Amino acid sequence: MYEFTYIRPGSLPEAAALLASNEGAKPLSGGMTLIPTLKQRLSQPSHLVDITALAALKGIAVVDGRLEIGAATRHIEVATSSVVRQSLPALAALAAGIGDPQVRNRGTMGGSVANNDPAADYPSAVLALGATVHTDRRAIAAEDFFQGMFATALEPGELIVRISFPLAERAAYAKFPHPASGYAMTGVFIAVVGGAVRVAVTGAGPGVFRWTQAETALQARFESAAIADLEVDATDLNADIHAPAAYRANLVRVMALRALETILTSSKGQ
Amino acid sequence: MTFSRLEDRRFVTGAGRYVSDWNFPGQRHAAFLRADRAHARIVSIDIEAARAMPGVRAVITAADTAAAGFRSLPCAAPIPGKGGSALLRPERPVLAADVVRFVGECVVCVVADTAIAAQDAVEAIIVEYEDLPVVMTAEAAVAAGAPQLHPAIPGNVAIEFETGDPLAVAAAFEGAAHVVSLDLHNQRVVGSPMEPKGCLARHDPETGDYFVHVCTQGTTGMRAQLVATTGIPDEHVHIVAEDVGGGFGLRFNAYPEYSAIMLAARLTGAPVRWVASRSEVFLSDEHARGVSSRGEVALDAEGNFLAFRFNFLNDMGAYIAPTGPVVAVLSIRACLAGVYRVPAAVANVRLALTNSVPMAAYRGAGRPVISYMIERLVDQAATELGIDPVELRRRNLIPPTAMPWKTVNGLGYDSGDFPAVLDKALGLADWHGFAARRAEASARGHLRGIGLATFIESTGGGASPDEVEARFGDHGEITIHAVSHSHGQSHETAYAELLAAVLGLPRERFRLRNGDPAVRLAGNPTGGSRTMHGVGSALRVLADDIIAKGRELAARALEAASADIEFHDGVFRISGTDRSVSLDTLIERHAGGPERVFDTRSSARTGSTFPNGCHVAEVEINPATGVVSIERYTAVDDAGNLLNPTIVAGQMHGAIVQGAGQVLGEHAIYDLETGQFLTGSFMDYAMPKAVNVHGLVIADHPVPTPTNVLGVKGVGEAGVTGSLPALMNAILEALRPVGVTHFDMPATPARVWGAIGAARSGEGRRFAHA
Amino acid sequence: MSKVSLTVNGKAVSVDVEDRTLLSSVLRESLGLTGTHIGCDTSQCGCCTVHVDGRVVKSCTMLAVQAEGSDVMTIEGLAPSHDASGATLHPVQQAFSECHALQCGFCTPGMIMAVAGLLKDTPDPDDQQIIHGLEGNMCRCTGYVNIVKAVKQAAVTMRA
Repeated sequence: MYEFTYIRPGSLPEAAALLASNEGAKPLSGGMTLIPTLKQRLSQPSHLVDITALAALKGIAVVDGRLEIGAATRHIEVATSSVVRQSLPALAALAAGIGDPQVRNRGTMGGSVANNDPAADYPSAVLALGATVHTDRRAIAAEDFFQGMFATALEPGELIVRISFPLAERAAYAKFPHPASGYAMTGVFIAVVGGAVRVAVTGAGPGVFRWTQAETALQARFESAAIADLEVDATDLNADIHAPAAYRANLVRVMALRALETILTSSKGQ
Repeated sequence: MTFSRLEDRRFVTGAGRYVSDWNFPGQRHAAFLRADRAHARIVSIDIEAARAMPGVRAVITAADTAAAGFRSLPCAAPIPGKGGSALLRPERPVLAADVVRFVGECVVCVVADTAIAAQDAVEAIIVEYEDLPVVMTAEAAVAAGAPQLHPAIPGNVAIEFETGDPLAVAAAFEGAAHVVSLDLHNQRVVGSPMEPKGCLARHDPETGDYFVHVCTQGTTGMRAQLVATTGIPDEHVHIVAEDVGGGFGLRFNAYPEYSAIMLAARLTGAPVRWVASRSEVFLSDEHARGVSSRGEVALDAEGNFLAFRFNFLNDMGAYIAPTGPVVAVLSIRACLAGVYRVPAAVANVRLALTNSVPMAAYRGAGRPVISYMIERLVDQAATELGIDPVELRRRNLIPPTAMPWKTVNGLGYDSGDFPAVLDKALGLADWHGFAARRAEASARGHLRGIGLATFIESTGGGASPDEVEARFGDHGEITIHAVSHSHGQSHETAYAELLAAVLGLPRERFRLRNGDPAVRLAGNPTGGSRTMHGVGSALRVLADDIIAKGRELAARALEAASADIEFHDGVFRISGTDRSVSLDTLIERHAGGPERVFDTRSSARTGSTFPNGCHVAEVEINPATGVVSIERYTAVDDAGNLLNPTIVAGQMHGAIVQGAGQVLGEHAIYDLETGQFLTGSFMDYAMPKAVNVHGLVIADHPVPTPTNVLGVKGVGEAGVTGSLPALMNAILEALRPVGVTHFDMPATPARVWGAIGAARSGEGRRFAHA
Repeated sequence: MSKVSLTVNGKAVSVDVEDRTLLSSVLRESLGLTGTHIGCDTSQCGCCTVHVDGRVVKSCTMLAVQAEGSDVMTIEGLAPSHDASGATLHPVQQAFSECHALQCGFCTPGMIMAVAGLLKDTPDPDDQQIIHGLEGNMCRCTGYVNIVKAVKQAAVTMRA
C-alpha cells in the first residue's frame, strides 16, 4: 500500500466536505474491494474517509411500503435482518451468498453498489427491483445509476446514503459462482414489482443489464417454458480464460430458470 | 483411543513457528524487483533513486552477486540421455544479468528497514529492456525457427531421454492385431502450499557462518544447492527450519531468492527477512506437470498388451530446476508398463525450454504423468476394442505369483497383489450397481460416468543413507534428529509412535527436530513418498541400537550375561527369572552426564518401494452447466504395512483432492503472445474447495514389502497418481453417450459444457487442450 | 501515524501505526501474535481470520485504524485458559486435533477461527452449511474431509 491519511468523520456533511476538499480522497466503507486494491498498489488515494460509522448511513426499515437500507449496512445484517427476510426475502438470500462469511461481516451494500463490479451480486437486485439510490445530493433511479464496468452515475465525492427498494410481489436470485474467485460468473435476479416482471443479469457482461427478452416472455406467462428455449445473444458478453461468451450466455438462461424455479416453488419467492 | 498428533497442540493454538514468524533484533526486510516481461535483454538498471529512499540499506543487482562469486544455480540429469547424451545446462543467475526469460524472474533485491519501505524502493528502480520474442509452449519451442532461450541449448531441447527397447516395441507393433493411440496433455499447475515461501538469513562476520531460515523439505538438499550457488563453504551454511506450511515438492530446491537474501545479510550486517506475497508465489514458485504426450498400445486379437510406446514432451520453463529432470524421467522409467504384463515398452522424453516459470516436482512428481497416460490409454483401448475396461485390465495384470517382477526395461517390482486390489475396489465401489445409478441420474437429466485406474508408483530410494540421531536430555526427554522435513506429513507423531512401540516408552517422551543446525546428518529430504521407509527404517535400527546399549547396561545392573537378557515392553529381564530393570530406569541412571551413553546415531539405506492401488471414481455432470460433481470415490491402496491408519487416510484425502483439483479446474495459464501469467492469484487459479469430493471411501490391501524392515511402502502421493486417471476416465465415460470421444484436463464447467455442445451439434467429438 | 487502541484477547493494547498498516500486521508484528497467518494477498485464503467484535474477519483486509475501539480475538486467545501450560483447548481446537483435520498447520488457526464463528451462528450445521461457512478459508493438505468431520464433532461438543 502507498501512504494515505485515514479519517473517520463524525457526520455525513463532514465526510462530504473531506471528500470535496481532497481531490485524492476516497470513501472507505467495508473495504472488501478497496483494501485489496490498495494492497496491490493499484490505487493511490491521498485520504481514506471511513464512512461506516456514520449514523445517516445506517438502518434497515420498511417505510411507506418500501424497504430502506442504509448504505453502510453490512451484508450479514441484510442477510439476517428479520425486516428484510419478511419484506424482501430474495434480497436477504442474495446477501447471504455474497463472497464468504468474512466478506459478509465487513462488506456493505453501499460499497458494493458504488463500486459496481461487473461480477457483484447487489447490482442485479437493485436493477431488477427498480430500486432508487439516494445519495447525499439526489435520488438516482437504478436504471440511470449503473453505467457499465465499475462506472456509475455518482459524481466525484458523492456518497450513497441509502437504497430504497420497492417490495416485490415475487423475487429470487440465482448465481453461478466463478470456480476460483466465488464471484458471480453469472447471476440473475428476477423480480415481479407491481405486476411487472424485470430480469437483471450480473457477471455475464461488462456491467449489470436487463434481459428484456425474458421479461417479455415471462410477462406473457410466468413459467419455465416461457424462457427455457430463449437464446441469449453472446455478442456483448464477457469472454476470458475461464469461459467463452457462449457459456455465459447459456448461464444467463440456466440461472434465470433456477431463479424462476425458486419463485415458483415458494409462496413469495426466496 | 482418541486420535491426536504430537504436533497438533502448537498448530491449533497458533504456536507453530513458520519462516515469517522468526524475528531477530535489527532485522531488515527485503523485496524483489521482478521481470515484468517474459523475454528481454536488460539494457540498463537504474537503482540510484531506490538507493536514496528512506530506510533503504542495500540495493543488490547481478553486479553484486558476481562480485560475491555467485554461480549459476545447479541442475543435473539423474540418468544419461539417449545415446549417452548429457544435459545441456542453461546458466541461471540468482539475479538476472543480461537477459530475463520469464515474468517474475528476480532482477534486483532491495533491503530496507521495513517490508513496505523495501517495496516502495523497488518501485523507484528503472529497468530498460529490449524485448525479445517469446515462446510459451513446448511444441512451439521445439519447432524450427523458434526463438532461442539459451546459447548453450540450440533448439531449446536440454536433453532427450529414452528408456525401454524401441526395436522390440517396433517389432511388436508390426505384428499386432490392434493398435490404439491417444494424445494427452497434462496441464501446468501451481502447487500452492498455504505458506508462501520465505527466507531469513543471518550472517556472523566473525565466523563466516550463515544461518538460513527457510521453507524446506530437508536441509541436505537445500544446503548443497545454496553452497553450489553461492560458493560459500558447506561448513558455513546452516539451514534452520521448524514448521513448514506445506511442501508437495515445491520446497525441495533452493530458490534464487534464498541466495540473494544470504548476500543481503552479509552486505547489510543484519538479519534479513523476505516473505513472498501470494502474487510472487504464483510468479516464482516452481510450476509442475505441463507435459504433452502420445501413447500407443499394441494388442493381440485377445486383448493382450504386446507393447507400449510413449512420447513425452515436457515444458520445463525458462531454466532447468534441480529436480526438474528427475521428475520428468525417473517415474516414467520406473513405472513404464504400470501394473501390466507387457513384453515390450519404450518411452521417449524431451525436455523443452519456454519463457515461463521453471518446472519441478509437485505431488506425484511424474507418477501422475505416466499413470495418467497408461490408464487413459487402457480405457481408450477398451472403448475402441469393445472390451469391458475391467476385463481388459484383468487380462493384463501382473499376477501375484509372478512377484518379484522384472519390468520390461530391466527394473523390478518387489511385491503386490494387483488383482486382489482391483477386486476389493470394485466391490467397495459397487461397480456392478453403476448401471442403476446411471439410469437414475439420466432420469434427472444428468450424465453419470464411472472410471477406474489400476496403477503403481515407485517411491524414492534416495541418494544417500538416512541418518537419525537420538539425544537424551537430562529430564528424560529424547530428541530425535532427522533430515526429512515434516511439512504436514505428521513425522513428529509417526516417528515417536514407531520408537515408543519398540522401546516401550510413552510417545510423549520423544521430540523431533528436523532442521537443527547443531546436528548435521546425512539423509534425504522429504520427497518421493519415501520418509517412512527411509527414515522409518533408520529409526527401527536406532531403536535396536538403543536396546543393545540398554542390554549391556542391564546385564551389568542385574549381574548377568547380556546374552541372557531379554527385552520386552520396555523391560530388560534375565530370561526365565523375575529379575528385571526397565529401559526407563537405565535411561534415568545413564543418559545424562558427560558420557551421554544413550545418545545414538544410526542409519539405514533403503531402496524404492512400489505402492499400488485401484481407484474407482464416479461422477455426475449437469449438462446445463457442465459442472462435474464427484459422487463416489473409492481408493484401495497397497501401501504395505500401515503404521498409523488415520495419518495414512489423511494423506490419501489430501492427495485425492489435489488430483481432483487438477482434473476439475487448476490450470496455470500464460498469455501465448506476451508471456504474461494470467492465473496469478486465487481469484483466477481455481483451488479445490470443500465441495469437491463426496462419498470418499479409503481402504487398504496391504502386501508388506520385503525391502525394508517395517514392510511399509510410500503413501503420500498415491492419491494423485490414482485420481487423475480414475476421475478423467469417469468423466469421459459420462460424456461418451453424448458423443464426446476425447477430453483433456481440466474439466472446468465451461470446457465440459463446450464439449457436450460441440458433440451434440456435430461440430466435434474431441475436446483437446487448447 | 495514528494511535490505535483496541482489546486483543482480553487485554487492552495501544499501538502507534502508519495509517496504511493492516490489522494483521499489528497482530503479528507489533503484538507478536504470529498465530494469525498470511497466505495470500487477495483476501481469498482466510489464514488471517480473527474475530473482531465477535464476527469473523480477514485481518489482512482491514486496516488497523479501522479496529479502533474493537475487541479482537486471535487464535492465541481462543482457548478458555490460554496460559503457558495451555491445559484446555477450545472444542474446535480439540476436534481439529482428534479428527486429524490439520496437517501442515498453516491454514489451521484461520480455519479454526472461522469454524468457531460459524458454530456461533449455526450451532448444528449440516454439510452444506459447513461448506458454505468455510468458503472463505483454504486448506491444501487435508482435502477438507476431516475438517468437515471436525466441525460436526465440535458442534456436538459445544451443544452438549
